[in-house]
Amino acid sequence: MLRSLKGLLSHPLKLDHGYALHMAARDCLSAAVSQDVQTPAPTPRAVFYTSENNPANHGEQHEGRHYSIPLEEVGAVFPHGLPYRFQQQIKTFNEAFLMVRKPALELFTYLKSSNFAHPAVRYVLYGEKGTGKTMTLCHVIHYCARQGWLVLHIPDAHLWVKNCRELLQSSYKKGRLDQPLQASSWLKNFKTSNERFLKEIKTQRRYVWGKRESTEEGRPLGEVVEQGLARVRIASDAVGVVLKELKQQSHLGSFRLLVAVDGVNALWGRTTLKKEDKSPVCPEELTLVYNLRKMMMNDW
Amino acid sequence: MAAPMAAGLGGRLRAWLPRLTQVRWSRYNPSYIEPEVNKELYQKPPEELTEEEKEKLELKAVRPIKAAPPTLSSSVFSDPMISKFTNMMMKNGNKVLARSLMAQTLEAIKRKQLEKYHKAPEDEKETIECNPYVIFHQALKNCQPIIGLSNITRGGKTYQVPVPLKDNRKRFLAMKWLITECRENKHRRTLMPEKLSQELLQAYKNEGPIIKKKHVLHKMAEANRAYAHYRWW
Repeated sequence: MLRSLKGLLSHPLKLDHGYALHMAARDCLSAAVSQDVQTPAPTPRAVFYTSENNPANHGEQHEGRHYSIPLEEVGAVFPHGLPYRFQQQIKTFNEAFLMVRKPALELFTYLKSSNFAHPAVRYVLYGEKGTGKTMTLCHVIHYCARQGWLVLHIPDAHLWVKNCRELLQSSYKKGRLDQPLQASSWLKNFKTSNERFLKEIKTQRRYVWGKRESTEEGRPLGEVVEQGLARVRIASDAVGVVLKELKQQSHLGSFRLLVAVDGVNALWGRTTLKKEDKSPVCPEELTLVYNLRKMMMNDW
Repeated sequence: MAAPMAAGLGGRLRAWLPRLTQVRWSRYNPSYIEPEVNKELYQKPPEELTEEEKEKLELKAVRPIKAAPPTLSSSVFSDPMISKFTNMMMKNGNKVLARSLMAQTLEAIKRKQLEKYHKAPEDEKETIECNPYVIFHQALKNCQPIIGLSNITRGGKTYQVPVPLKDNRKRFLAMKWLITECRENKHRRTLMPEKLSQELLQAYKNEGPIIKKKHVLHKMAEANRAYAHYRWW
């Protein structure tokens, strides 16, 4: 399938981006980065690289150039966002260079002029295989992280609808299925990328996790995340709680929310999962997908 | 291996000679000449050509030329050793897969060396070789045995006789050992490029199981030195 969409939601601007299965996008990044390292020649590099490392200042003159992200920031902002080939490149060359693309610059103008009183706007990044959709998404996420937004990044929605080893029956609602492994790994990465927000945002309701565990009203959201990580069985519900809280509290204006989903088509397609009686699973029956779909509506 | 044509069946009075029949023969008329792939030869101006080259050029005008095989290439990136190795790795004629595995192996070697290069202190950076082709050639050269063993039967008993090896045979043995080592003695789930790159880097540094195998062969040949006179060629 040629059209590929990615999902990117931000408060108040919602961005829906679709994305098709993109296999190794080797060429677009490695072309300029893989130069002969043993003879550093300054002149060829100047054509491809730019020293402007703040995405906020990227303009049209930087189009097509690569800017570097310090490796500590890569670990903090993109714990799970970068594609595998790009991570290999970072490991080999000890540097992370991202290309400035026109769609990213366009998105920056929209985000800068966004009106936070209005409902969220949704944007879609689409294109053929290997054209740089994931990397553009990462560029935008880096920009928002630098501006201090809360970034909700789902690296690949396809991972949630296929090849899941464990499916548990949800204790919260009958007929729904939990995915403890995917939920807990996502919570872990969410924690590393948005540490300070988790301390500031407080829950507005009381959540009961089981017979003995519950989270009171007014506790920091970090506790919910800790609960999800400690007890893997309720991790999917913890994810749902986090999403709900963020959605409700984004109106208050203390933080700006960006929801970025890579491969958003997966939320509405078919799953390859089967229930115990070998009947196929619809995406709505998965807790994670159900909660994420609610974030995709522009009613916040 | 060029073998003489089978002698005629006549001549029973002649002593029995071991008959060598040609296994690989070509359907081409002997007047056909081999294709010349070297681009630089064609770009040379006529004054710089040596006598032989001038003769060859004249011959080309009158004689027909054989068709070039698909593996013969005039590209700067083609390497006959790499092609030979790829062919030996190929299974069931799946050249596409073999070639991609070879490319991934070279990429893996380059990545490993680059990582080492970036982590090394300044004075050691020059000693680290990053060119995967150089590593490949050097590793193969290090794996080639100098002397081999051949089975010779004398008086009912077979002896392992040390024998000098031809260049082709050395290259073949080195490549065969590399591939069998990677296929058999590694963990089932590791991919071939990963295994091969590891073996090649070890062989480049003169370590690893293949170098050991070569040394074992040399030691056996040294131990059987006494039977060397059984060889008649």
